Amino acid sequence: MLRRQSQAEQPERGTREDRIMKRVFLSPTVALLLALSIFPMIWSLGISITDMQRGGSTTQREAAVEGRTAEGAGFLGQSYSITTRNYSQLFKDERLHIAARNTLFYVIVGVAVQYLIGFALAIVLNQEFFGRSFFRTLFLLPMMMTPVAAAYTGRMMFDSRVSPIAHVLRMVSRWLERDKTIVAPWLTDTDWARVTIVLIDSWQWIPFMTLILLAGLQAIPDDIYEAARVDGANALQLFRRITFPLMLPVSATVILIRGLEIFKIIDIIVVTTGGGPGSSTESLTMYIFSVALTFGNYGYAAAISYMLLVLVIIFATVFLALVRLAQTSRVRTAT
Amino acid sequence: MTLKKVIQKLVIYLILLTWSFIVIFPFYWLFTTSLKQPLNVSRGPKYVPTWDYEPTWEHWEYLFDEQKDTTWRHFRNSLIAATGSMFLSVFIGAMGGYGLSRFQYYWKPLKWRNDNIAFWIISQRFLPPALFVVPFLLLYTKLDLIDTHIGLIIAYTMFNIPFAVWIMRDFFNQLPTEMEDSALVDGATRWGAFTRIVMPLSTPGLVSVAIFSFVFSWNEFLYALMLTNFDAITMPILIAGQNNTRGVQWWFISALTLTAVVPVILMGLFLQRFITRGLVAGALKG
Repeated sequence: MLRRQSQAEQPERGTREDRIMKRVFLSPTVALLLALSIFPMIWSLGISITDMQRGGSTTQREAAVEGRTAEGAGFLGQSYSITTRNYSQLFKDERLHIAARNTLFYVIVGVAVQYLIGFALAIVLNQEFFGRSFFRTLFLLPMMMTPVAAAYTGRMMFDSRVSPIAHVLRMVSRWLERDKTIVAPWLTDTDWARVTIVLIDSWQWIPFMTLILLAGLQAIPDDIYEAARVDGANALQLFRRITFPLMLPVSATVILIRGLEIFKIIDIIVVTTGGGPGSSTESLTMYIFSVALTFGNYGYAAAISYMLLVLVIIFATVFLALVRLAQTSRVRTAT
Repeated sequence: MTLKKVIQKLVIYLILLTWSFIVIFPFYWLFTTSLKQPLNVSRGPKYVPTWDYEPTWEHWEYLFDEQKDTTWRHFRNSLIAATGSMFLSVFIGAMGGYGLSRFQYYWKPLKWRNDNIAFWIISQRFLPPALFVVPFLLLYTKLDLIDTHIGLIIAYTMFNIPFAVWIMRDFFNQLPTEMEDSALVDGATRWGAFTRIVMPLSTPGLVSVAIFSFVFSWNEFLYALMLTNFDAITMPILIAGQNNTRGVQWWFISALTLTAVVPVILMGLFLQRFITRGLVAGALKG
C-alpha cells in the first residue's frame, strides 16, 4: 500500500528493463481477458441487435421461402441484418419474465438464507470448544462438491416418495395420527421447487459464508469486547454494538459475491427440475442457454444476456448503496 | 464452570452436531444408495446396509468394469481440462499478480493505476457467463475448438485468471522484497529473480491458486455443456445427462457422482488450509 502511494505521481520509473518487464508480467492476463471477455462482450452486444440464427438469419430464411435470396452482411460465415426486434421482444416474452422473477427469487432468498445460517455457524465456530478445527474442516465439505452432484443428492433427499425426508414426514403424520399423511411436493410444485432449489444451493454454499465470516470474526480484537464487558454490556448488546457493525464490510463482501454467483445459477435447476414444471423454475441463464442452443436464436439470446447483465449491475449498485447508507447511519448514531 | 457456561457449551455442541448431520447425511445417503438394488430404493428409504437390506457392489463393478471405457474417458476429459487450466492459471496468474504487486502501472486514457486494473481484472470473474454463450459458440465453431480439450482449457483459464491474479497479488504484497532486491543488485534479471527466487518462496500462494483453478474447472458445468458434445464431455455433463438417457437410476448415479466428487473432496481435506487462506485473501482483501 505504502509503496504504491508514495510513487503515485511518477508513472514511469525504474530501469529500462523494469519498464519492459512490467508490461511482460501483466500482458498475458490483460491479453487473455481482452480476447476472451471484453471482445466477446462487445461482440455479444453487436449480435443482440441482429437477427442472427443458427444456420442463417431470419431474413434469409423468409427470403428463401419466398424463393429469392437476401444478402445479409457476412461475419464469420454468419449472415444477418440489423433489427431491434430482440429488444422489443424482451418486453413481451412471458417466459422470460418468469425466468427473471425466478432468478431474483433465487438470489434474494438464497443470499438471505445463506447469510443468516452462515453467520450463526461462524459465531458458533468462533467459540472455544474441543474439536474446533475438526468441525471447521467438516463444515467445508459441501463446498467442494460438484454442483451437479449436490443437485442429484438433493433430488434424492427431497424425493416426495422414497426419500428419508418423505419418510420422516410420514412418521410425523402417523405420530400426529392424521388421516392424511403429509406429502410435500418438494420438486413437483412450482413454489415448493423454487424453495428446494434454494435449499440445495444453500447446503452447498453456506460453508463459503461461514468460512469468510469466521475469518472476519477472528480479525476483531478481543480487547474491544473486554472493554465493553467491563462497561456491563450483555451478549446481545455486544453483538449489536460491536460484532455486527465491525462485520459490516465483510458481510457486504460475502453477500455481494454470493449474490453475483447465484445470478449464474443453472446446474442445480437443470438436474433437479429441468426448469419445470413447464418452465416455471427456470433461471435467466438457463433460458438464455435454451434460446441459444435449443432454438438457435443467437440474436435474442444475446439480447437477454444483456438484460441479465443490466440486472446484475443494478443489483450490485443498489446493494453497495445500501451498505454505504447503513455504514454512514451507524457512524452517525455512534457519534 | 458455572451453570451458564455448561448450558452454553451444550447449545454449541447441539448446533455443531445438528449441522454436522446435515452436512454428512447426504454423503452417507449417496454412498449407501450406490450399494442398493433397485428394489431397495423404490420400496422406500432403507437406511443401514446389511441391517435392513443386502448391500451389493454391482453398480460399482458395472461402472469400473463393464463401463470402464466410458467412465475413464470422461474422467480423463475432466482431468485434462482441469489440470491444463490449472497450470496455465497458476503461471499467468502469478505473473499478473507479481506485476501488480511490484510495479506501478498507469494507463493514461482512463487514468487507471494498479488498483483500478486489479479491480477491472476481478470484475471479469463476476460477469454472468451467459453473456458469453453466443460469442463463444460462434468463435469456437469458427476456430474448430468445439469439443476439444484445448477449447475447454482456454475457456476455463479465462474464468480462473481473475481470481488467480487477485490471490497472487495479495500474496506477493505480503512477501518481503529483500531477497529479490538483493538478487537484482547482484545482477540477476527481473525474470530470473521472479522464477528463481520469488516463485519458490510463494509455494503456499501458488498451491491455493492451483486448488481453486482445479476445483472450479472440475466442477464447471455451463461452458462444458456449451462447448462439448461428445469427445470432450466432462464428468458434470455426464452426470447431468444420466437424467435423460437412463431414467433415474439412483443407484448408478450415486456411484458415478461419488466417482466425480471423491477426488476433489479428498484434495480439499488434505489441502484445507490453502483453501481457507486463498478464499479469505480473495474475499477480504477486496
